[in-house]
Amino acid sequence: MSRSELEKFREMSVAEFFSKYREVAGFSNPARALYQTVRELVENSLDATDGHGIVPEVKIYIERVGGERSWCRVTVEDNGIGVPPTVMSEAFGKVLFSSKYVLRQTRGMYGLGVKASILYGWATTGNPVEVQSSTRGSDYVYVKKLYIDTKRNEPVVVEEAQFRKNVSWHGTRVSLIIECDWQRAKARILEYVRRTAVIAPYSDIILQTPDGEILFFPRTTRKMPKPPRTAKPHPHGVDVETLKQMLRATKAKTLLDFLESEFQSVGEQSALEFLKVVGLKPEMKPRRLLRSENDGLLVTMVEAMKSFKFRAPRSDYLSPLGEELIKIGLKRMFNPEWVDAIKRPPRAYQGHPFIVEVGMAYGGAIQASEEPLLLRYANKIPLLYEEKEDVSYKVVSDVNWKQYDIEMPAPLVVLVHVVSTKIPYKGVGKESISDVPELEAEIRNGVLELARRLKRFISAKEREAEAMRKILVLARYIPEIARSLKTFSRPPESWKPLEPGEEKDVVESLVGLVARSVTLPRSGDSPGRSVEDLVRSVISGVKVS
Amino acid sequence: MNVVDSIDVEARRRAASILRDVMLRVLDDVIKGRPPKLVIPKRTLSNTIFDPERGILVLGDDVFERNMLDMGETRRFMQTLLMASIVYQALVENEYPTIRDLYYRGKHTISYRDLKGVLREENTWDEQAESDAAIRDIEVATGLLREHMLILSKEKGKVVGNMRIRSGPDVIDLSKLGHGAYAIESTPDLIEFLDVDAEFVLVVEKDAVFQQLHRIGFWRQYKSILVTGAGQPDRATRRFVRRLNEELGLPVYVLTDSDPYGWNIYSVFKVGSITLSYESERLATPKAKFLGVSMTDIFGDANKKPYLTESERKNFIIKAKERDVKRARELMNYTWFQTPRWKKEINMFLEKKVKLEIEALAGKGLKFLAFQYIPEKIQVRDWID
Repeated sequence: MSRSELEKFREMSVAEFFSKYREVAGFSNPARALYQTVRELVENSLDATDGHGIVPEVKIYIERVGGERSWCRVTVEDNGIGVPPTVMSEAFGKVLFSSKYVLRQTRGMYGLGVKASILYGWATTGNPVEVQSSTRGSDYVYVKKLYIDTKRNEPVVVEEAQFRKNVSWHGTRVSLIIECDWQRAKARILEYVRRTAVIAPYSDIILQTPDGEILFFPRTTRKMPKPPRTAKPHPHGVDVETLKQMLRATKAKTLLDFLESEFQSVGEQSALEFLKVVGLKPEMKPRRLLRSENDGLLVTMVEAMKSFKFRAPRSDYLSPLGEELIKIGLKRMFNPEWVDAIKRPPRAYQGHPFIVEVGMAYGGAIQASEEPLLLRYANKIPLLYEEKEDVSYKVVSDVNWKQYDIEMPAPLVVLVHVVSTKIPYKGVGKESISDVPELEAEIRNGVLELARRLKRFISAKEREAEAMRKILVLARYIPEIARSLKTFSRPPESWKPLEPGEEKDVVESLVGLVARSVTLPRSGDSPGRSVEDLVRSVISGVKVS
Repeated sequence: MNVVDSIDVEARRRAASILRDVMLRVLDDVIKGRPPKLVIPKRTLSNTIFDPERGILVLGDDVFERNMLDMGETRRFMQTLLMASIVYQALVENEYPTIRDLYYRGKHTISYRDLKGVLREENTWDEQAESDAAIRDIEVATGLLREHMLILSKEKGKVVGNMRIRSGPDVIDLSKLGHGAYAIESTPDLIEFLDVDAEFVLVVEKDAVFQQLHRIGFWRQYKSILVTGAGQPDRATRRFVRRLNEELGLPVYVLTDSDPYGWNIYSVFKVGSITLSYESERLATPKAKFLGVSMTDIFGDANKKPYLTESERKNFIIKAKERDVKRARELMNYTWFQTPRWKKEINMFLEKKVKLEIEALAGKGLKFLAFQYIPEKIQVRDWID
């Protein structure tokens, strides 16, 4: 059974709202629109690959088209699972038709970004989107050009074709022509791609810019995080609307059965107790609650669900990056002297499980700055705008770095990655995360723990440097001292000058003495040479005249 | 082949043996895996004590350990050991190095690799001040003076007078040197006094005044031995004067300029110097007396007529400089300058703020200096002790 069948496509109803209120989806101007388009396409590509266990290859082409007009063609190609031909039109041509409206950690939450780009492209340039896709195992590549009829919220297919594959490619290639402002969007887009390469070091990412530059971020590992899995909602996290949908869709015959089978963390025992609390009969038919006279009852039920002590939500279907990958990503991009990462234990806020991961890099090729360079990520998406609004910024700027022996300006990078089935974004722009207390506490724990580790590294490094200095200062005089002392082994009566190398035994004793007088703490993972080796290396090949 | 005299041979044997014993203890520490160190008495002002009993400056009991494994000491440790080995080698090979020789013999480049493997270089020492300090460290660590180790320095002191000495294999008559004088050798302990016909020793600060007194026949007239250190006296001159005083029982009079610099030279002859206080015991002549020129010689006092007339005084005295005044105030702090006579002398200087050179007295006439001033002052015991 193919993985794509696990994707549940469900139809939602909303109309031309997004074409009218572009700024809501991040399309307030041509620069932002270009950035947003690249972002949405890349994130879909990554979801279609690493979300399904495929090592991603993502190619991004941005070209200037349309002569004098400020138009760009944005093309993003991936090697993902592809979109089945039967749902292709709907997937790209109907707002809120998406595979993402279930509880699953994905990059885009509602999957409307690409469609917003399509609407924007159609509105600003009159060009349809061109989609090529092929699923795994399929012999064909399907091609469609379409736009969205906003009044009817329906796809209008302009052209379509299918080709027999002569290569083993599968994946999706989406090409859009939109009004754009490359000059103003350039810095953000490059930064976005760089930061994506940090968080997804197992990806090959190529970016071709309108300036003719080609940026290639080759993968540095093939290890990937476990893909996220779909989960049932936790009772703490549902609202009235969701509950209604669930009641409509359920196959359960009784309320008890409904609670037990449609929610996570609810067993027979807790379901019965809960129903007793809200005063509902376990054998009641779920659909009865949908009757309009029961609206009040639904509100009471949702409120009771939030306060009732159910088991904590499960976190095992989340897909954190893992400490190792964070370290690989930071190393690749910054070539630091020290890097470490920590994955905090799973927690939940309002019924939504989340995991905080923090990475930190120090020294090496990192540029020193007054504030640490903060890299924020939510569900593997880099967050670039509204930094100062973000809970991570609040936590990081609260840290007294001096307390950790770090003198600002310092070459310091802090990475904060939050994964959750529901990221508590501050606004619809999805660029900053709210300061939810549970989340803030975990970010703080992570940042401070790494700061402590960094402090240990810095102090070990200083002690190491001091020990190295001592070795260098003491060892250099060994041959001279040995030869001088050995001279006295000759009594005046039988005096003759020393032969070359005659002082060897004294040299050996002195090497031992110096080596024993130095304790060498080891910072980082530099290959450990013994103190004695270091002492010998100072005087190796040196002759005393 | 040079003639090696027996006094030299014995001195060498003894010095080499003492030096070797000290260094073999260090070598033994190394071989047994104990951190090697040298125990060295501190040669600082705070560890320099005036011994009123003996009237000399001596080294106190403070010692410090020069530990090879102490980063701040290891270079000095190396330098001291290197110097010791060169001195030892010179002793057993019958050489007579000067301190300048020792500086050059020990000066070479040490190569080492930094921890990146880059070859780096450093000199064993750069300045002679460093090698000289190493010699002083060996002197205090072993109790051997450089003269004991047959280390020569530039000869600066001179002597003439009615006496004969043996130096090495030769007998020298110090009364038969013509217009010249005998240069006091670096190893004055190896001089043997043969016969002496003198009643006192006159030490003059300045070489020029020494020559004048020599040519006019001062020492023949007054049966004396005439010595000069030509400015700040070297160790050999001081040791020689001390032996004349101690072994022959001759009184020692010191004649210097009338200023704080002159007083200091007198002080070095009498009690020793701070940098070399460890050898005052052998170099100082606590019984030496300051003959002049004193402030009362210039200005007179209630009981004494000045040697200079009003107009001579006007012509000969020089205004004291700021640093002379400063030096005079420093000298007042030293115990041995706190006698009533010295207080009077220094206070007079601070009051008048003038000084006088001995040449000025000679300007009044060499005969006045040689046949009136000096004999008269000794005659009436007009000196400061």
